[in-house]
Amino acid sequence: MPRLLLIEDDKETADEIRAELGDRGFDVSWAGDGIEGLAKARSGRADAMIIDRLLPGMDGLTIIETLRSEGIRTPVLVLSALGAVDERVRGLRSGGDDYLTKPFATVELVARIEALLRRPSESPDTVLRVGPLELDLIKRTAKRGERMIDLLPREFRLLEYMMRRKDQMLTRAMLLEEVWNYKFVPQTNLVDVHMGRLRHKVDEPNELPMITNVRGVGFILRAPA
Amino acid sequence: MSAASGSSSVRLPDFARTTTFRSTLIVAGAFFLCTVLLFGFVYWQTAVYMMDKNDALLSDELRVFAQNTPEQRLQEIDDRLRKDPERIKIAGLFDHDGHRVAGNIEILPTGLPLDIPSSAVVVRLDDHGRELQKVRIAAHVLPDGEILVIGRNIAEIVEIARIVLRALALGLLPAIVLAVAVGVVLSLRARNRLLEVNRRIQRIVAGDLRERLPTRKGNDPFDQLAAGVNLMLGEIEALVHEIAGVGNDIAHDLRTPLTRVRARLERGRARATTLDELRTVVDQSIGGLDQSLAVVTALLRIAEIEHNRRLEGFSQVQLAPLVREVGDLYEPIAEDKHVTLQVEAADEATVHGDRDLLFEAVANLVDNAVKFTPEGGRVTLALLHRDGESVIQVKDTGPGISEAEREAAVRRFYRSDKSRNTEGLGLGLSLVAAIVKLHGFRFTIAAGPGCTTEIAFPSH
Repeated sequence: MPRLLLIEDDKETADEIRAELGDRGFDVSWAGDGIEGLAKARSGRADAMIIDRLLPGMDGLTIIETLRSEGIRTPVLVLSALGAVDERVRGLRSGGDDYLTKPFATVELVARIEALLRRPSESPDTVLRVGPLELDLIKRTAKRGERMIDLLPREFRLLEYMMRRKDQMLTRAMLLEEVWNYKFVPQTNLVDVHMGRLRHKVDEPNELPMITNVRGVGFILRAPA
Repeated sequence: MSAASGSSSVRLPDFARTTTFRSTLIVAGAFFLCTVLLFGFVYWQTAVYMMDKNDALLSDELRVFAQNTPEQRLQEIDDRLRKDPERIKIAGLFDHDGHRVAGNIEILPTGLPLDIPSSAVVVRLDDHGRELQKVRIAAHVLPDGEILVIGRNIAEIVEIARIVLRALALGLLPAIVLAVAVGVVLSLRARNRLLEVNRRIQRIVAGDLRERLPTRKGNDPFDQLAAGVNLMLGEIEALVHEIAGVGNDIAHDLRTPLTRVRARLERGRARATTLDELRTVVDQSIGGLDQSLAVVTALLRIAEIEHNRRLEGFSQVQLAPLVREVGDLYEPIAEDKHVTLQVEAADEATVHGDRDLLFEAVANLVDNAVKFTPEGGRVTLALLHRDGESVIQVKDTGPGISEAEREAAVRRFYRSDKSRNTEGLGLGLSLVAAIVKLHGFRFTIAAGPGCTTEIAFPSH
């Protein structure tokens, strides 16, 4: 059971997060202020940490900086009511691994925590494989079994990202940030349209679907069962 | 009350405490000092000159007298004294015991240095009787032992001092009075103006933002200052009104989805009979809340851009790849809607700016265009070169924006009534306007058919 440390000063928010993550099989310990949080973080028992940006006692970013300077590399998700792009950049620069703006959907939080716990495979292989799906990074070709898939560059990039994170829930916001390097929320359902195109090419009608759309949450790429 | 009036009676009058009045007093004082010094110098120089001349004359006369025979001498002394209607000449001959032999001096003054003129007080004897006179006087011992004394009254030098003093008083007193009077008038005027300014400031502080500081036709520093402050007040007034308008818009745009959510929840609670029905209602409600939150996010984003005065994130941005990238991003969306998206990026311009923000701006324009163009329509995204500047133009065949709505469209929070039914927050164009303003580029919404939006990049 993965252990998480939550440093969050608002008790109600903390209770919600703990309940939700507890249901999803996480063991969450909680610290209500920066000092206590830093002490718990130093004990190093957590597999990942969720740290609120603004805390009494000690600023969230200071905690992260302190931990990183002490060589503690536990992945951190920064939680903040400060939504500005600048704040996000600051959060990541001070050593955070991901940044989530309040208010957020719980599924978004869970997806990001799971992503942190399972760092993407940075395998040096030039060919990525998921089930029958093969992506050649040198030749820029994709095929499913013996069937060649003709991909546009943007579709190739999206598929590569998903194959490196197979079996993981990828939310729309994560895809926007990571694949398109989008710094803002577009007004249209960009991700769905692009994903629709890709799905159409990857999963033909007579094949078992590999890309699943989890309604209201995001997308998962899996080897067909 | 009595205490207050008592204390005010010892206080200086208000005008006397103004800076203008004090400056006037200082200048008047300096002027007074200079004038006194000048007059003193004039007096001193005149007195020295006259004394020197007087002494030279005395020495000459003494020499002439000394060379005469005793008879001639007596005659000369007599002549000298007779031809002196102004009674300024003094002469005397004393024997070696100091007894008067001739002349108009009663007693030989003691301690006179010989042959050199010096100052002394003597008793003058003539037809008018005895009189004490202040004189310059020189003595010479004759070969027969008699003492010859020649002198001149120096009362006229004293007279000159009196004349100089009188001139000083006549010239200086009116000048001082005038200076003080001018000081009083100027300081009263400055004070009145200040009082007026203060009154108006009080009104502004009390909330009357239409109030302005008084200006006159002149162009003195005070007027320039007032004009500057008025300009600032105008800007503040406009901003405050804008904020008030924005507040209303926010309230409205938040209330609409929230009202919908509330109604849905209420109905769901009353009507839902199965868990699935209840879930559907809750899902819809969450969607409504997300919409409200998106409004807040977009607003914060605009505020962030508007307050972002730092230009450190700026670099050279190539426009053509940016335009092609936006086109690439929206092409499938347009296709799904059966709208043709045509991208033309021939110009090889680069601009100084924040690439992410510019991308966001162009993406928003295309997003809007695709959204508001009906099925079968066409959206053109083009990078042009026109009149020496690069222009990114987004043209659509949608319903367009009326002239009256165009300006409102770039304000925060506006959505044309025609588009109320289409999903979207109406913040897209205000976001674009904020980004373009930050860069110092130009954003225009041109007349239709359809809607044409342009970001122009001045080439300087």
